[in-house]
Amino acid sequence: MVFSGIPFLYYFLPCALLAYFLAPKKLKNTVLLLFSLLFYAWGEPRYVLLMGISIVQGYGFGLLVERYKGKKGAKVALGLSVFFSLGMLGYYKYADFFISAVNGVTGLSIPLLRIALPIGISFYTFQILSYVVDVYRGQVRAQRNFIDLAAYISMFPQLIAGPIVRYSDIESSLKQRQHSLASASQGIRRFLTGLGKKVLLANTLGELCSLFRESEAPSVLFFWVYAVAYTLHIYYDFSGYSDMAIGLGKLFGFHFSENFRYPFISGSITEFWRRWHISLGSWFRDYVYIPLGGNRVSTGRWVFNALVVWMFTGLWHGAAWTFVLWGLLFAVLLVLEKLVLAPFLEKHKVLARVYVLPVLLFSFVLFDASNAGEALYRIGAMLGLQGLPAVSTEALYYLKSYALLLGMAALGATPLLQKGIARLREKPLGEKLLNAGEPLFLLALLLLSTAYLVDGSFNPFLYFRF
Amino acid sequence: MSASLRDKITVLLTAVFLFGFSVWAFCKPADAVSQSERRPLSSFPAVEQEAVFSGKWMQDFEEYTLDQFPLRDTFRGLKAFSVFSLFGQKDNNQVYLVGNHASRLEFPLDEESLEYAVSRFRRAYELCFQDTDARVFFSIIPDKNYFMAEANGYPSLDYSRLFSYMKENTDFMEYISIEDLLQLSDYYQTDAHWRQEEIVDVANRLGEAMGIPAFSEYQLRRLERPFFGVYHGQSALPLPGETLYYLDSPLLEQCRVYDYESDSYLPVYNMDKAQGQDPYEMFLSGSRSLLVLENPNAKTDRELVIFRDSFGSSLAPLLAHGYASVTLVDIRYLPVERVSQLLEFKNPDVLFLYSTSVLNNSVTLK
Repeated sequence: MVFSGIPFLYYFLPCALLAYFLAPKKLKNTVLLLFSLLFYAWGEPRYVLLMGISIVQGYGFGLLVERYKGKKGAKVALGLSVFFSLGMLGYYKYADFFISAVNGVTGLSIPLLRIALPIGISFYTFQILSYVVDVYRGQVRAQRNFIDLAAYISMFPQLIAGPIVRYSDIESSLKQRQHSLASASQGIRRFLTGLGKKVLLANTLGELCSLFRESEAPSVLFFWVYAVAYTLHIYYDFSGYSDMAIGLGKLFGFHFSENFRYPFISGSITEFWRRWHISLGSWFRDYVYIPLGGNRVSTGRWVFNALVVWMFTGLWHGAAWTFVLWGLLFAVLLVLEKLVLAPFLEKHKVLARVYVLPVLLFSFVLFDASNAGEALYRIGAMLGLQGLPAVSTEALYYLKSYALLLGMAALGATPLLQKGIARLREKPLGEKLLNAGEPLFLLALLLLSTAYLVDGSFNPFLYFRF
Repeated sequence: MSASLRDKITVLLTAVFLFGFSVWAFCKPADAVSQSERRPLSSFPAVEQEAVFSGKWMQDFEEYTLDQFPLRDTFRGLKAFSVFSLFGQKDNNQVYLVGNHASRLEFPLDEESLEYAVSRFRRAYELCFQDTDARVFFSIIPDKNYFMAEANGYPSLDYSRLFSYMKENTDFMEYISIEDLLQLSDYYQTDAHWRQEEIVDVANRLGEAMGIPAFSEYQLRRLERPFFGVYHGQSALPLPGETLYYLDSPLLEQCRVYDYESDSYLPVYNMDKAQGQDPYEMFLSGSRSLLVLENPNAKTDRELVIFRDSFGSSLAPLLAHGYASVTLVDIRYLPVERVSQLLEFKNPDVLFLYSTSVLNNSVTLK
């Protein structure tokens, strides 16, 4: 089930909210857990058991780690939990990738397992990993209430597409949380804004990308239109989903951290990764990069650390070499920026953006490609190296047809609108007008999103595959 | 308005909308068909263990919720309105508007499709007419995009290439050009088809080439109910209904149509179909694989065989006066090999009459 679907909006969510708010306080986490399991089972009935096993191991090893704190047993329990989590992830997500790699290198023909990827496995596995590691580090107490821990890991607002919520962030909310009209209103605002971003912008930009892929009249212009559309599409798809998750979290009394902060205004790739998929970046920083030594090591070792972290970051997004290359591309850029470019980028803000935006476009072209050859062809076509016509009638038509939407999406990816609203809010009349207009705007978003969903068909999120 | 009041209204409005539509969706009886889209709607899927565990039930339920959502057509209309008016897009689900004329984008030209169409026509010719004295004619009906697309900045087929390719590769047929007789107003605004009352000149040019008198004695009749074509539903916009006219005559009233599929006789203008989902089906009862329009008052024993698509349904009656029988073959439903087994012809006139849309999507030809 996805948030931007009629079954979720008009069947699941009203039932979940009703049951949750009618339930007595001590049963709220149980209700949340049951609805989360139903939510997960909707998309993957077979894999509920797998998630259940993961939760049980996280719960059990968490307790063991704490029980043997400071002793060898804690390390063993941690090791077993990490082995189990990464083993599950490796088997279900990467087995065929590794088999293909082995076949490619050795010339063997080991048959592929062709295992269906369990939805959200990357997200809940990382949450379990961070929980057990945090218990080991003494940063959190092990959760003794199985329902509470299960509710945290399986919590439907963030289960299948993040953000990656740390246990430490919601530990206290699992025991005690406040519900108020103001936070419900904030939650609704955030959820409906995310819904609009996903349904009205991301899906429509996705249609443009599909039209490009189906086109038989390629041109340089069409490749650029596609690159811009795809980059915005993936941003709105993922940040829209994160907004919905954060909004839903608020409705149920949780506070999830921000996952996106206008990444396309970044003046460097380093800054971009502080603004894009923040929960993933910080997870790799805290659980991989720093344990490897972070930047308090020799330059050579630090470069190695960066390459390892970014290779895994790429691989986390999908079991394909294009994702590995995508991660390594960022590793190289981050190293270059740190060693060479940083002072220049800091000094020349405009030139910095002239560098960042095309690099991001090319990186997302690579991200979308099914193989490195296709990525190279597409980037070559953007640079006019494939002998294609500069413009085609089809490309011009779609550019005109989607121009307003692309413009709106580009504007929405900057903080200009937010700044304008904040400035308007500073004036008494502006504040009143905005307060009066907001509920209507949100209702219009819900109406329009519903209209788009009713008119369209099933629309899975991109981040499902992660 | 204070922030507190804003919060109250936000929660209230959203709750009323979400819970209201939720209850409505739960309680609303399922509709069987969508009139606007002319298709059956999904019904509530049966709950079976295997379907639930495989996830199929959930997929079927999703389809059901989309198909049966309350005010579905209103929401589709809202979406279409926002596509055109809010986001300034030029088409909605590939349907675009020029004035009140709606059409579906069709591009690019598929030469493989043309090649396949030619091969099916050639096969039909070889199997049925090659060893006869039949005179074989061919004509292409331009679809609406021919008049609407390029002139208004929409991508379109390379029509000149389409026409030249088809002419060059059908040397076994005599080509009759009709595109110069047609204009956009000769087509329904909300449908892909041409208007029968506007194609008398087309019928007469075809008839002249085949050596029959002009179709001139007829009465213009109109259907009482408004006609909403296929694009009305697809565009989901409140396009106005149109008047459907048909051309009748005493001769046509006495003609009857034998339908091989049902082994029964049908009227030339089927008034039951005129009241159905697609009133255009009143012309020769719509999609039929094999029909013979019999003219008992013919002053000749000449036969005409038309290989056709749906455009031929409204044109064939205008040629009936010149023949004792007009056989209509739709090879989208009947393979050409079966045609040669079912029918035997004695030096008929033969007309291959196809729209550009079918030629560019000829995978449907058998």
